[in-house]
Amino acid sequence: MARVRKALTIFSICALGLTACAKTDEPGAAQSPGQQQGPVKIGISLPLTGDFSEPGKGIQEGYKVWADQVNAKGGLLGRKVELIFRDDASDPNRVSSDYESLITQDKVNLVFGPFSSRLVIPAAKVAESYNMVFIEPAGAAAEVFEQGFKRLFYAAPAIADDHYNYLADYITKLPADQRPKTAAYASLDDPFAQGTAYGLRDKLAAAGIKTVVDEVYPPETTDFAPIAAKIAAAKPDLVVGGTQFEDSVGLVRALQELKVQPKLAAFSTGPTLAEFPAAVKGAAEHILSPVGWSAVSTFTGNQEMVKRYKELFGGEANEDAANGYTVGQIAEAAVNAVKCVDPTKECQDKLTEHIRQATFETVVGPLSFDDKGRPEQAHMIQQYVKGKIEIVLPEQAKTTGIVYPKQEW
Amino acid sequence: MRTVSRGLPLLVAALAIAYPWLAPNYYLVYAGALTVMYAAMSTSWNLLGGFTGYVSLGHSAFFGLGAYGTGLLVARLDLPWVLALAVSALLVTLFAVGVGIAAVRVRGASFVIVSLALVSMMNLIVQGWRSLTGGSTGLQVPSPFPDLHRGQTHMVFFYLFLALLGVALLAWWYISRSRFGAGLRAIREDEDKAESLGVPTGAYKVAAFALSALFVALAGGLYALWFGSLDPIFVFSILIASYMVLMSLLGGVRHLFGPLLGALIVAPAGEYFLIALGETQIHLTATGLVLVLVVLFMPDGILAKFTRKRAGPSIPDESADQRLQGVAP
Amino acid sequence: MNLLLQGLALGVLTGGLYALLASGLSLYFGVMRVVMVAHPAFLFLAAYLTYTVHTTLGVDPFLALPLTVPLFFALGVAVQRLLIARLAPENLAMMSVLLTFGIALTIEGLLGTFYTGSYKSVSMEYATRSLTIGGVHLPYDKIIAFGVAALTLAVLFAVLVKSRFGQALRATIQHREAARLVGIQTERVAGYGFGVGLATAAVGGTVLALITPFFPASHWVWIGKLMAIIVVGGLGSVVGAALAAILLGTVEGLVLVAVDATWATMMFYVFLFLTLLARPQGFFGGRLAHRF
Repeated sequence: MARVRKALTIFSICALGLTACAKTDEPGAAQSPGQQQGPVKIGISLPLTGDFSEPGKGIQEGYKVWADQVNAKGGLLGRKVELIFRDDASDPNRVSSDYESLITQDKVNLVFGPFSSRLVIPAAKVAESYNMVFIEPAGAAAEVFEQGFKRLFYAAPAIADDHYNYLADYITKLPADQRPKTAAYASLDDPFAQGTAYGLRDKLAAAGIKTVVDEVYPPETTDFAPIAAKIAAAKPDLVVGGTQFEDSVGLVRALQELKVQPKLAAFSTGPTLAEFPAAVKGAAEHILSPVGWSAVSTFTGNQEMVKRYKELFGGEANEDAANGYTVGQIAEAAVNAVKCVDPTKECQDKLTEHIRQATFETVVGPLSFDDKGRPEQAHMIQQYVKGKIEIVLPEQAKTTGIVYPKQEW
Repeated sequence: MRTVSRGLPLLVAALAIAYPWLAPNYYLVYAGALTVMYAAMSTSWNLLGGFTGYVSLGHSAFFGLGAYGTGLLVARLDLPWVLALAVSALLVTLFAVGVGIAAVRVRGASFVIVSLALVSMMNLIVQGWRSLTGGSTGLQVPSPFPDLHRGQTHMVFFYLFLALLGVALLAWWYISRSRFGAGLRAIREDEDKAESLGVPTGAYKVAAFALSALFVALAGGLYALWFGSLDPIFVFSILIASYMVLMSLLGGVRHLFGPLLGALIVAPAGEYFLIALGETQIHLTATGLVLVLVVLFMPDGILAKFTRKRAGPSIPDESADQRLQGVAP
Repeated sequence: MNLLLQGLALGVLTGGLYALLASGLSLYFGVMRVVMVAHPAFLFLAAYLTYTVHTTLGVDPFLALPLTVPLFFALGVAVQRLLIARLAPENLAMMSVLLTFGIALTIEGLLGTFYTGSYKSVSMEYATRSLTIGGVHLPYDKIIAFGVAALTLAVLFAVLVKSRFGQALRATIQHREAARLVGIQTERVAGYGFGVGLATAAVGGTVLALITPFFPASHWVWIGKLMAIIVVGGLGSVVGAALAAILLGTVEGLVLVAVDATWATMMFYVFLFLTLLARPQGFFGGRLAHRF
């Protein structure tokens, strides 16, 4: 017993002192020469099951299309790219343990980000503490960039709060007699969804458009009629939903049932998904939403990606896949620029510095980042016009003119 | 035989203490710490479930409250982490006494429903109280050991969770030999009879409920300090609670080491299902079927199958009357 | 004022739906003293089956019922006879929760595997229109849900009160041993009771499919709400559950328009705890709760 206690004491002192007792796989330890010749391993944890599994799958496909095209061109710095996927089941414990194992066990050369603002922060923490650069396709909430991460970059045109910027511009520049006077906001309690709605709310409120309803509902909400009733009572000129899918459909249906007829209706995420028009029947017409990518744009690599996606997966590419692909494009450009792709601190530092100051040509347009990793561009605005998704804002990217006021639903 | 059953736990303990040094990389230390955390939580759960037979599917409420309590005290009030941990665990225990008084008024099914409701309620409150908790954007808790790198932090928390597990095991062992424990077991066998014999069943149940909550809250607090970011929908999750139940049940609720054994099986098995059955949701089905099979065919757990004789302390199979004789004053 | 009226109207309609969804839970508890955590998972299984019938055959979703109701009845009998009946009686309440929890996970995993994790929805023409009476809008889909719920519950009550099976079932609920003594085959009756409970889930699932989009994990949010309803109503009392459902639906509707969604959901749990403190056996009958 005494011996056990003694051993325990030694172990504890050692553990708490933590100086002499280091692991052999200390991050940043020199790579063996053999490994440098092998494939470039890229570690990714994605929610392939659970609440976020649909967008997770889209991003995975985007990553795969990118890897396929890079390898067809001869790989990164002449080495083949190998993607290692882990399923995090939409669970933050799993996200952390996935990146932990990818970095320390599989000794990957690079890591790419997971899906959802709620999972990006724990994941970025792991990457940051092992000095790995962390480019992520889906952590748009403002909070992600306020954690002091130095190696995190969001590979899409804008953070959540800026998604509606073009729409805000458009509305505030309308002639006074056409301008909406009141607005109703309903948002899911989720950092991303709220970010989009509140970004627009703050800009419109500053321009004198009165906020008449401002509702937040928890993810458990299944009945949207009473929320719509509140909006109906306020008779707003425009209705904005900070939504994901289920609630965007619920809100649209409930607003119709309660005969709310705003001049303009905008919802995030839901309307960009393929299932939306069928779920709301004819009501999709003239609904607006922010979108970071368009299948018909001619940005660098976009048409090749759309084509290759179809060959590999059969369907049409979507925004999630485009975001995943964008991450790959940025990593590829950075690796080619600094000529290294090792997990060492030295190489990852070089990559980080390069990404921070460079501008990247991607399928969502040219991207550059500020000192917190926020992208500095803006989302486009899409609208259902005659049953088709059209880009209506900004001026230089539009496929058709914006319809305002909208027809009744 | 006796020496084996005495020696085995010591050997396992020595192995556990050496584990972080034997593990070839920090990921395995991390996974180990997570497993020990689950073992500590299911052992705590078993303080209530094993003795009284009250199945709580709501212990993740205490886990989450402990985590948020500790996190808020550290992040908002800058309390030292040890103090924050202690204060938050104490508050959660007091809260559990309050809830317990309402919850143990009902038995069986109603109790399970109440425990489920508790998790949903706490989730709603913490998510809705944005100004205090940060709501759905989560709460970021500064690391108590900012000078250590990540792997070293895992090692420290491995030992902290191990210590918590040790204390929880000791508590269970001590109670199993005490008059209090005998009273709790009497409640499981026949609550009405126990009451008529003068066992203060209400007070005993509340005490067991609160004690069980205390250790789970401590685990939650340590988790907050270790993990560093909290999100209401993930800490107040019925799945975390159901893991505690599954582990205890699989190992054997009547045995001191049952929940520990269950955790050692379930945690790695969960990982395996996820990797082996990969990209579809069929791994949920696998977990569900395991639970169904355990409930149907092994309701007393693995240890009950292998230890007809006693290896390690456990609750003996005796009749209610025998047990009541031991507690009646 | 009009807003409160609107909230009240919507709440009553929603409460009717809750009554249908919770009725099965009361039956299970009545006949077997078990809490069926998997009931909401079965609801969504029915919703998915309805979706399949609707999309592949292109028929009205309610035409799925002739298929799903018998199927679910058989499933219910099977679950009771093959699984629940095997559990040791002394710890039935607790073990049945875990067993049905496992079943719920199994169903969710299977739905996710076969239908993927993406949202599905059944939208009918009438689903987005409403009837306006004195400035209060009553959505047709909610009226239909309420009507179907009322009809189903009426049939259920008629069966329970009038038929021989219903009498046997009620006798089993009231006193199992006594029922056996007078020659009722309680085992078989319990099995059928489960079947009837799951049959209500088939109807409930179709109605749910009409009014809300769903995905495999949708059932979680319903567990807490439905459980709160049957406790407030008094465990094992079908009538009590129906009344509690209307009450809680109305409270929810009013709080939603007067305060916000978080507090509206919270009302279910507030009422649950109030019930336990004031009247643990429930407000509308159900003298069973305290004992079990």
